[in-house]
Amino acid sequence: MKNITIRFGEVTANNNVDFELRKGEIHALLGENGAGKTTLMSILYGLYQPQAGEIIVKGQKTSIKSPNDAMTLGIAMVHQHFLLTPPHSVTENIIVGLKESRGLLINMSAAEKKITQLSEKYGLKIDPKTIVGDLAVGEQQRVEIIKALYRDVDILILDEPTSMLTPQEEKALFSTLQSMVRQGLSIIFITHKLREVMEVSNRVTVLRGGKVVGTVNTSETNETELARMMVGRPVIESIAHMGYSSNSPVVLQLKNVSALNNANVMFLKELSLELRRGEILGIAGVDGNGQAELAEVIAGLRKVQKGEIIMDGKSTTALSPRKIRELGLAYVPQDRLNTGLILEYSIAENLILDRWYFEKYSGRVFLKKDEMKKFAEKAVSEFEIKTPGINVPVNSLSGGNLQKVLMARELARNPKVLVVHNPTRGLDIGASHYIHEQLIKQRDAGVGVLMISLDLDEILTVADRLAVIYEGKIMAVMDTKDADVDYIGLLMGGKESAVYSKKEEAQDRK
Amino acid sequence: MSLVTTLSQVPKKMRDVKTYIPFASASLAFVVGAVILASTDIDVGRAYTTMFRGAFGSIFGIGDVLVKTISLLLTGLAVSVAFKCRQWNIGAEGQLYMGALGGTLVGISLLGAVPGLAIFLVMLLSFIFGSLFALVPAVLKVKFGVNEVISTVLLNFVAILFISFLLHGPLKAPGFNPYSPEIAEASEMPIILPGTRLHAGIFIAVAATVGVYYLWKTKIGFEIKSVGANNNAARYAGMNITKSILITFAISGGLAGLAGGLLVSGVQHFLIEGISPGYGFIAVIIALLGRQHPIGVAVVAFFFSVLMTGSESMYRSLSIPTAFAMTLQALVLVFVLVGQLFIIWLNKRQTGRRLDLKEKWLAK
Repeated sequence: MKNITIRFGEVTANNNVDFELRKGEIHALLGENGAGKTTLMSILYGLYQPQAGEIIVKGQKTSIKSPNDAMTLGIAMVHQHFLLTPPHSVTENIIVGLKESRGLLINMSAAEKKITQLSEKYGLKIDPKTIVGDLAVGEQQRVEIIKALYRDVDILILDEPTSMLTPQEEKALFSTLQSMVRQGLSIIFITHKLREVMEVSNRVTVLRGGKVVGTVNTSETNETELARMMVGRPVIESIAHMGYSSNSPVVLQLKNVSALNNANVMFLKELSLELRRGEILGIAGVDGNGQAELAEVIAGLRKVQKGEIIMDGKSTTALSPRKIRELGLAYVPQDRLNTGLILEYSIAENLILDRWYFEKYSGRVFLKKDEMKKFAEKAVSEFEIKTPGINVPVNSLSGGNLQKVLMARELARNPKVLVVHNPTRGLDIGASHYIHEQLIKQRDAGVGVLMISLDLDEILTVADRLAVIYEGKIMAVMDTKDADVDYIGLLMGGKESAVYSKKEEAQDRK
Repeated sequence: MSLVTTLSQVPKKMRDVKTYIPFASASLAFVVGAVILASTDIDVGRAYTTMFRGAFGSIFGIGDVLVKTISLLLTGLAVSVAFKCRQWNIGAEGQLYMGALGGTLVGISLLGAVPGLAIFLVMLLSFIFGSLFALVPAVLKVKFGVNEVISTVLLNFVAILFISFLLHGPLKAPGFNPYSPEIAEASEMPIILPGTRLHAGIFIAVAATVGVYYLWKTKIGFEIKSVGANNNAARYAGMNITKSILITFAISGGLAGLAGGLLVSGVQHFLIEGISPGYGFIAVIIALLGRQHPIGVAVVAFFFSVLMTGSESMYRSLSIPTAFAMTLQALVLVFVLVGQLFIIWLNKRQTGRRLDLKEKWLAK
């Protein structure tokens, strides 16, 4: 793949990316969330068309317009979330869409035989007759892989294949991958976990912000170097830190809080955290390590299984979202389109979404239209929201203006604690900067700001302190001004002996 | 004056092609209906004229159209209130029957003979009966997560069969037929147009329409509407979803119950099996076509009432089965829904770029 560029609106997801896969290698594609890994591979798999660049497969310049084209070229992709039909058998799932599955009679036993052969050849243990719904996640993944092999592909793309596997399943997967490359297949392995890269790949290409940082041989690199490549140095000019003071009072405290995720797995594991007045505390981490759960637990949207949350001296552990808000919480969720706002509502309606019952905005029965209008007009002018009017549905606004509407509402609460989750995700630089300014203003006014963000640069720029979250636990808390990016990168990758290896590295330098 | 400036004086809605699509779709339904009639060797012109005359040709016809509108409007509003909260209440028919029972119980009691108070109590109890019956699926849903589509559909049969049981047993008036005793005269809705069956219930239906219109401007209405629009956001903003669902069902069932009470007090004057020819089911179509807006629901309810009344006269004078009216209703539904898809497609084309961006942003 040469000079691949793809833009979604104003966001450049891949910028002049070169990527090369050799026959018979496992090539890891490493990068943070939003670095453009999956986008790049989706181009190779024919899901997106790049605006520029060319794809050369086995020496031939080609254009891949659909997954079908990719399949013909021998390229298959196993997605992070499997595309299987649970009530059907393994064989049925594998042959669906193929010639074998057309016509009146399907030669199941021939297909089953071929599947058994494949599974023996690559050590992918599976019974072709089992119903897919009865399989464990790791086994379902095997079905996906066999599905690709069945179609005689020789290039296999795996998108974060270990994200849902147990350590044992992961081990089995890695040995399968090794045996597959020995038989001449080539594998692209998308991941953000350093350990996996070191363990399984031959070469690794690191993406950051849609650009290639570099391609190196795995044997000639180490986790620290990769972490540095992946995370990078802060590029934005640092906003002066206020000098956080350790004697300002704690305004939000989480004590050994445990909570389930949507799949009922204990996802926050005895997490403890302290947020002080007048500071911005950044929560850094790779996506899916409990960030959403953390925010929701604080906001009362997710049940606390164990532990306690204390806001401004009062326990909010078992309170309703409304009560917690009334005690002084403002919360800007990451999903501004589906949680923070109601898209078909107007700006005026969205602005009173959390305060429709306030005496100011409603009488005994009816809402006060005039007050709504006044509030909306004030917010539009104060936050410089670009809109044709306060009564247009917000779905006609741009992402930056949507976020401003949301911020306007939450900040108008005069909160004691402000939780923001990925506050600038998907926004352009101007809007991002504006949001950052607002957060700093709040901090300077004495609000405790908890900023959960996938963008480490953002945290290093704006936050006074930062904590790294990994698998539902806080790995470490540190002052931003003396934070070490390499060290943070290792912590984010779950390198538990990070402290040790840092010392070790220091000694190596000597 | 140029055409452009003339056009710009017309309100924007009137200039928009999309405003007219539903009407065009409904007309197409009649065209297809004509083809069906023609294929059975019926004079299409005569059939449609008869239909029109049956509805508007006499004062009695007009009265009947309005009487049916009362039932369709109240049940249509009932369903649309529920739909606005994204609660799929398909049980308006059952709630109507329970409301009819509530009204009857007042009407045949001693209180039913007290002038003035009786009418009020008939309406109150039919509302309450409908409400309470609708709260059954609502409680099942919020307590145990029972899907309300299934429970409301099934509870229709429970209500209808329960009424049958009462009419064959405890509530049966002396005589051969499974009828309830007649309600007292003080419990009857007065006829307001002599020579027709049009009764004062029409005012209640109009009041309900206005009431629903203003419901969405109240505090609780805002909460219900928000839960329907996006319950994630509503919960996040501190709204009480359980409370909203319960209140929604209570209002919805109450409105359907009123329709039942008015059938007893205004039309039949006693309770019978099959007192409703499926108003509560047609109401679902009406709510969909009226897009849950009270004015829209009123227009569609009136239109469907014309269809029903007209088709009865088609049956009487031309022996065209009344099933044809149902066919027409179904055709109208299909065509209008397809028309709405067309509108969505038009909208998408207009805002295509922005939507595209948003989706891609989400996909990331």
